Amino acid sequence: MTNNAPADDRYVVHRLANGLQVIIERMPDVRSAAAGFYVCTGARDETPEVAGVSHFLEHMMFKGTSKRSWREITIDFDAMGSSYNAYTSEDRTVYYGWVRRGDIERQIELLSDMMRSTLPPAEFGTEKNVILEEIAMAKDNLDHLAFDFLQEQVFAGHSLAWPVLGYESTVGSLQRDRMGEYMQRRYAPNNMWLVVAGNVDVPAVITVAERCCGAWKTVEDASRRTPPPVHKGVGKLVVDRFRQQIVALTFPSVSARDPRAETVAAAVQILGGDNSRFFWNIVQKGIAPRAGAHHLDYTDSGVFILYGSCEPERADALLEAMRNEASRICSEPVLEREVERVKNRRRTSLAMDAETPYCRLTQLMDDMECYGRPRTVEETLAEVETVTAKSVHEYLQAFPIDREGYLISVGPRDWPEAG
Amino acid sequence: MIKLFHDVLPNGIECGVAEAAGRHVVSFQVRVLAGHVNEPVDRLGLARIVEGTIDKGTPKRSAQELSDAFDDIGAVRGAGSGRETTTFTCTVLPEHLDRALELHAEMLRTPTLPSKAVEVNVELARQELTALQDDPQGLVEKHITPRAYGPVLGRHPLGEPTTLNHITRSDVEQFWKAHYHNGRIVAVFAGPVGPNAAADLLGRHFDGFGERRAQGREAQEFIFTPGRTHVIKALEQQQMAICWPGVDATHLDFPVQQVALGILSGGMSGRLFTEVREKRGLVYWVSAWQDTPRGVGMMFLGASTTPDRCDETYATMLREVDRLSEDIEDDELRRAVTGLVAAHDTRGDSTRARCVEIGNDLFFFGRPIPLEEKVAKLEAVTINDVRRYLAEHRRDQLCVLTLGPRPLSASGCVSPAAVEAAQ
Repeated sequence: MTNNAPADDRYVVHRLANGLQVIIERMPDVRSAAAGFYVCTGARDETPEVAGVSHFLEHMMFKGTSKRSWREITIDFDAMGSSYNAYTSEDRTVYYGWVRRGDIERQIELLSDMMRSTLPPAEFGTEKNVILEEIAMAKDNLDHLAFDFLQEQVFAGHSLAWPVLGYESTVGSLQRDRMGEYMQRRYAPNNMWLVVAGNVDVPAVITVAERCCGAWKTVEDASRRTPPPVHKGVGKLVVDRFRQQIVALTFPSVSARDPRAETVAAAVQILGGDNSRFFWNIVQKGIAPRAGAHHLDYTDSGVFILYGSCEPERADALLEAMRNEASRICSEPVLEREVERVKNRRRTSLAMDAETPYCRLTQLMDDMECYGRPRTVEETLAEVETVTAKSVHEYLQAFPIDREGYLISVGPRDWPEAG
Repeated sequence: MIKLFHDVLPNGIECGVAEAAGRHVVSFQVRVLAGHVNEPVDRLGLARIVEGTIDKGTPKRSAQELSDAFDDIGAVRGAGSGRETTTFTCTVLPEHLDRALELHAEMLRTPTLPSKAVEVNVELARQELTALQDDPQGLVEKHITPRAYGPVLGRHPLGEPTTLNHITRSDVEQFWKAHYHNGRIVAVFAGPVGPNAAADLLGRHFDGFGERRAQGREAQEFIFTPGRTHVIKALEQQQMAICWPGVDATHLDFPVQQVALGILSGGMSGRLFTEVREKRGLVYWVSAWQDTPRGVGMMFLGASTTPDRCDETYATMLREVDRLSEDIEDDELRRAVTGLVAAHDTRGDSTRARCVEIGNDLFFFGRPIPLEEKVAKLEAVTINDVRRYLAEHRRDQLCVLTLGPRPLSASGCVSPAAVEAAQ
């Protein structure tokens, strides 16, 4: 069954009888191809006592199937010369491999086999140690620590508040059978997509998908996602051993599915991208070596983030400069030429991304998540063209960033002082 | 189909082109053959200050106007100072290539180098040195590099607080005058641009830019200092890096070294990942890589782990290096070669990646290297080649740097033999 694709013969969306959607973009001019499974599961789908299970499970998916041992999985990837990996976020888990065009069907077969891991008991304890090392490593990274703290504060009371890696306590006590139960519910074909981009033979891809994934059983999972609250306030985490202070401000914003997504992206660039107001008025004023803006978005919520890192005694100056710029962009409409410059860069970036199957794979996954269908580069470009100074202004009127927001401080200084 | 061209233009610029007619973007890189090795010893960090100041205005445009002009054509730019070179890389839609190169020429040839911008860049570099204290892997690199390469090649891009304090606008201007000229420029293009068009653009925009005579192509003094150093720092994990000399990028055995590294750390089936992480669960991150300044090659091993596992991790890594010369199998050699060859096809679909690759070819070899030639050399590597290479480049003298709560055990760690016995 083929449907839901753009009216463009480069794209095919094929749905298997069990609900697995196969999304294909043909790129006849390239020498490579990429394939990946998008699993609609992540930290936000966990219960508190198993925090970190999605990420731990991602590791375990490499550890063995009924056909392959962990050693055979890695050997088969490397025998193709694949550039492969996996990652877990709050709302997705992705496995991918990028290979020469002639190897794409083998790549899909291998990834498909992995998706039916047996979670080998003998590997569970060893991999748990690897995860605990990853958690320790994250604690030595100020940015990682600050981002986890920001999520914990801004989304307090919601599953988006806990870290993707989980906690030593939850990972340490996690049992294999709990992981298996979670996998069974979440790694169902109706909760996953197989995405393929590159120089591929479409019928051959569909055939291999049918053969490798067609027997997977559909599961109706009763658990549902709910939008998080977006709090305001002040949160500080004092960590003596760091030398820098991270300062961030967050404000409620639109979700990734909102039609204003490109407008928000333009606002982020004008305020905190290259050649931005933050660059000239904060970094190039010597206040902080790093200052920027970011839009953290999920399918049902979004947060506009202003951030910077500086020497602790400069935290007040950094905060004041960020608030000044936030206030200015809300009160004085941005200029049309500022928007045009951002759009010009975006056009070039889209053309660059359109060259490589891996970049297209990533974009197609985002498109499926936000729009439920793949989009052509031209369609994305058309959306970029609709952004204007007026649309940026209207967005900032609807979601102002010159208010209290949530102030986050992480670093050696006990700042801001109470009161 | 990619066609390669190379020439030294009448104006002194060395030019390389990877013409790929069907691409929708064009990338170019202007590489100035001057970097941290060219800094006066009391002005360390200067090359980076020059790179950060050079786009802060010209007689025609203020700093912001120059950035705006690049944005008007949607230029996606990058710049960075390195040990021996400073690079300016740019990708644009093909119709904007002329303008992009014109703006680069304006920036590189007529910078006003404002005093205020120099002061700000010095201040930012000083703050980044502070920030480096929060970056464990960056700190390891900072500490091991001078021991691996000596006081010149081992310089850190950010310099030192004391040397940064001395840098003035006059220093920046002198460095620019001495090093930014056609005789030190290597310019490469990739995408829908041919050699004549590239030569024409470089002629129109760069003719008469300073000294034409080729400079900056000599290898630098290299001093390797074996030994073990520990830097105490409050961290959850212990960081470690180990290095020893290998061969440089132009050496006949360079493909052999690449394959040996591939066997050790080319993918998840590589020996380090398999033995250190997958079998023992000692680390999340472990890797091996090479670093190749001009005329020098250095092999590195790196990992981070909690302090109690540090000695075992260290010994296991070295054991795997030693084991390489004992029991390489044909399958793993083929996998390593395949990984290296396949990367040319996958990453090579990116025009920007092609551009960077040809830039490196010109830097090391003085000519673009056809893909077929690179692939043939890799595919010719045999098990005996790897064994011979390992015999000739033994890891008997190591430079070891650890960073974290405690040093490696005083007795020299768990011995590799003990690790083997425990297997």
